[in-house]
Amino acid sequence: MPYHEFEASKCIPERKMHAVVKGEGEDLTSCLPKGYLNTIPGTISERGCAYCGAKHVIGTPMKDVIHLSHGPVGCTYDTWQTKRYISDNNNFQLKYTFASDVKEKHIVFGAEKLLKQNILEAFDAFPEIKRMTIYQTCATALIGDDIAAIAEEVMTERPEVDIFVCNSPGFGGPSQSGGHHKINIAWLNQKVGTVEPEITSPYVINYVGEYNIQGDQEVMLDFFKRMGIQVLSTFTGNGKYDDLRGMHRAHLNVLECARSAEYICDELRVRYGIPRLDIDGFGHKALADSLRKIGLFFGIEDRAEAIIAEEMAKWGPELAWYRERLQGKKVCLWPGGSKLWHWAHAIQEEMGVKVVSVYTKFGHQGDMEKGVSRCGEGALAIDDPNELEGQEALRTLKPDVIFTGKRPGEVAKKMRVPYLNAHAYHNGPYKGFEGWVRFARDIYNAVYSPMHQLTAIDIAKDDYATDQGFVTRRMLSDANLSDEAKASPLTGYTGKFDPIAAIRAKTDADYPVFAPKAATEAAE
Amino acid sequence: MARKEKKDVTRASYPKLYTSDPLAEVEPELRARIAELENYIMKNCLWQFNSRGWDRRKQNAGILGKTAQLLAGEEVDTSTPLDKCYWVDAVLLARNFKERCAWLAGMGRDEIHALIAKLHARIDWLTIDGSLNEELTVQNY
Repeated sequence: MPYHEFEASKCIPERKMHAVVKGEGEDLTSCLPKGYLNTIPGTISERGCAYCGAKHVIGTPMKDVIHLSHGPVGCTYDTWQTKRYISDNNNFQLKYTFASDVKEKHIVFGAEKLLKQNILEAFDAFPEIKRMTIYQTCATALIGDDIAAIAEEVMTERPEVDIFVCNSPGFGGPSQSGGHHKINIAWLNQKVGTVEPEITSPYVINYVGEYNIQGDQEVMLDFFKRMGIQVLSTFTGNGKYDDLRGMHRAHLNVLECARSAEYICDELRVRYGIPRLDIDGFGHKALADSLRKIGLFFGIEDRAEAIIAEEMAKWGPELAWYRERLQGKKVCLWPGGSKLWHWAHAIQEEMGVKVVSVYTKFGHQGDMEKGVSRCGEGALAIDDPNELEGQEALRTLKPDVIFTGKRPGEVAKKMRVPYLNAHAYHNGPYKGFEGWVRFARDIYNAVYSPMHQLTAIDIAKDDYATDQGFVTRRMLSDANLSDEAKASPLTGYTGKFDPIAAIRAKTDADYPVFAPKAATEAAE
Repeated sequence: MARKEKKDVTRASYPKLYTSDPLAEVEPELRARIAELENYIMKNCLWQFNSRGWDRRKQNAGILGKTAQLLAGEEVDTSTPLDKCYWVDAVLLARNFKERCAWLAGMGRDEIHALIAKLHARIDWLTIDGSLNEELTVQNY
């Protein structure tokens, strides 16, 4: 096994089995780090807790819901507004967060009464909102508060409201991934099948594992609507609580982030016979193939092909512009869980960069299987890294850019490595044909920005040129290009600052109306 | 749609099919061809990586079985939603194989079935029987 031992972690020998270098001829039977294990004492992990995984990643993107944490105010404060999962109802779920504000006296005397008071106050403060999720935290789990009983009491007293209880305290797993699992299964057990949705199309899907980061979900929904597909629910970005109660009526579950939401897809398959189709919304080829697959399933592939042709004609040349300028740039792909495999192959194939390292904070070995497979030889794969390991890897690998979260991203910036936010994006959305060009644009700007180069100069000590001003694109990224490429009239991304506004402005009249297909034709 | 309550927990103890790389003795030319197909799958597809071993066994058999039928020009069963789901992944796979591997066009039906059977064995080895993933035998999803 090609394990990699960091100098910084020699005093924590167990860490050695959490990093591998993919050598020549290595495959998954000889090269895979350990994963989804408890963080080793002594290593400072970048992981979140199971409460955070349940609430912050999956629960809170639901848009028409009061999200209430039963616990100390710090738990909810630290999971508030840290990720840009926007919504088309004025971002209610981002603007407001709720906590029962448990204190020491409640640990001694119980906090159920406090919880009920908080639930009623929250509903009274926002009378237009009739749905609520309540999240267990470590403190209230340990004192044994019965949240479900309180929720039942309130629902009996106020029959117009509906409450979902998520019992995923922070200690409920090695990382946030434990919380993803718990809330998936809890939602399925408590809520799926409790609403009968209106079916308006012969083609009905749930869009699962999509969190509408900077509008990703809205971009993808636009494609689905252009194909005449009814999206019954989105689990959970920009999703509605009651739509998600009707998930059992879909014909197909289309799954994006398998790491956070495969559990509900798998159980919907077992319990209701709805098949699971994994797709990739990132990357031009992967997205085109994904739309084709959904089209094939419903017998409407021609509709997918029409969208692909239109979008590729528009955005393909702009992506090529960036690919020429990003050839061979070294990337550390260090996201939370799924993007290491969503992006690893697509950015190498379509943007020309080289992934020199992948890591995952909370991924399982299954995520590393996908990530290691999609990397080239020599890539360093790290599970649950600590900060010193990250610094050592950056010093050794000398990447041109790093894609990671904001905490390790700030460390990278101090080490003069440009950083892009892999979780919440810089200038997303990154999904969709246009979104992928926006991502390429952000990478280009990160790699070539003169600002980053200036930050490497210590003006107190270093000699630096005082007679050189701003450096242009032609001097930075175009110096070694062919004459033909230099003469191209293209200048990279030409889209708008906010591409989501135009999608939101669309009405039903802007989408095509298709004649119903004969049953036999649709089945072919 | 009917809701099934009973969970099959015995599914986690599926039998191993291979104890070593099933292509270890395959001649180099054929091995190289299979490697091309394997590389495409491992870089571009996700269906082979469902979280549990028993599920991967079904996925691999369902999708690669239908891919072989499509490449051989045979009729494919799409009568159930699950079959149709396997079929759509198989259609994309067969198209991409044909686009990338011109040598497939010169193969007869039996040769294609034999080739994909070997590819299937190799994917089973990589993702199930030879896998280092310790979560493949977990009972629940």
